[in-house]
Amino acid sequence: MEQHIFRAMGTTVECLLESEAEAAPAFEAVETEFERLEAILSRFRLDSELSQLNRAGRLEACPDLLAVTRLALQARERSGGRFDPTIHDAVVAAGYDRSFELLVREGPAGSEETPPCRGGVTIDEPADTIELDEGVRLDFGGIGKGYAVDRACALLGISGPCLVNAGGDLAVRGRPRTGCWPIGVETPDGTISLALEDGALATSGRDGRRWRRGGMERHHLIDPATGKPSDSDLLRVSVAARSAVEAEVLAKALFLVGEEDAAFEAAKLGLAAVLVTEDGRTVMAGVLA
Amino acid sequence: MTSHVARLYALAGAILVFLVTWAAAAAHPWQPAQRATATDPRVAALVLREQRLRSESVHVQQIVDRRWAHYRHALAKRKKEIATAKKQQQAWLAAAASSSASGTPSVRVVTLPPLTTTKTS
Repeated sequence: MEQHIFRAMGTTVECLLESEAEAAPAFEAVETEFERLEAILSRFRLDSELSQLNRAGRLEACPDLLAVTRLALQARERSGGRFDPTIHDAVVAAGYDRSFELLVREGPAGSEETPPCRGGVTIDEPADTIELDEGVRLDFGGIGKGYAVDRACALLGISGPCLVNAGGDLAVRGRPRTGCWPIGVETPDGTISLALEDGALATSGRDGRRWRRGGMERHHLIDPATGKPSDSDLLRVSVAARSAVEAEVLAKALFLVGEEDAAFEAAKLGLAAVLVTEDGRTVMAGVLA
Repeated sequence: MTSHVARLYALAGAILVFLVTWAAAAAHPWQPAQRATATDPRVAALVLREQRLRSESVHVQQIVDRRWAHYRHALAKRKKEIATAKKQQQAWLAAAASSSASGTPSVRVVTLPPLTTTKTS
């Protein structure tokens, strides 16, 4: 099993490939793909297409920006607004206004104003143009990372069974010689090993990207209903799905509703989910219960 | 003799006048009129207190009415929000179920050492 690790999208990306052939070109292609997508989708890069769209409110977009916007809007509709790409201003208001590496961890309280979420976004399909309503800005965050993972996995999968893990959002393709991909899920009681044969696994939580403003803890998981960091009783949620994009959306949607509803929904949908509560319990939900 | 009788009559008359005056003075004929016009300060205080309590109770009732109206409004709003959330949850479950109907990946807990770890980034 060949391994390749690099930094992209503000996180560490790990690639595993089981191949008889030379793995380096495949890894290089994956790294290039991550760099390319980051240059399009990052809200922290002033020259990214996303930043241009957020500034101008209308942009003739490249196929990747169109695809991610489409996926994000579909996710918003399917999740009843729990997932929302228009939380940009709310995340910034919470203090996450620059790349996490550069973010001041302790700072004064910001404005108490709650920026509106659920803003209007229109895709003009024939013109390949995205148009944002007045004052609406997009932040793809996790879904952008998930999209990059799915793309990278598709690229790497040409060379053999593979795994791409971008800071918790991971996807696998093909079956390795061992029969499955054992993936570790961190819990307060230790690491649980989940065997994934195909598909993806994503973790969303508030124990990673967090900081303090005015003495109050803030995190990046914004509840679009309030425009503020979610006060869910969950610390993190890991969910398996067919793609990293879908797993990312499901993880966020389950996180926001809290332990009880997340367990109910995971069971109802037949999902494999691991919930870690803020009081340190691990709940195996859905098909894992 | 006449003078003696006259003196007796005069003395008796004087005594009578004195007694009548005494009785009249002892009867305090002027007091009932005074009582009728003057109010007992304790009664006045009670009346004032009653008026204040009545006014306060009206004010409190107004506050209670206002709070009840606010509470009923908030309750109706909350019920509406809960109904919307339930509706959205049903819609989300239906949409997610149809999208995952084409297959959720097979996942099980194993004892193999993990090749990699998923955690909050």
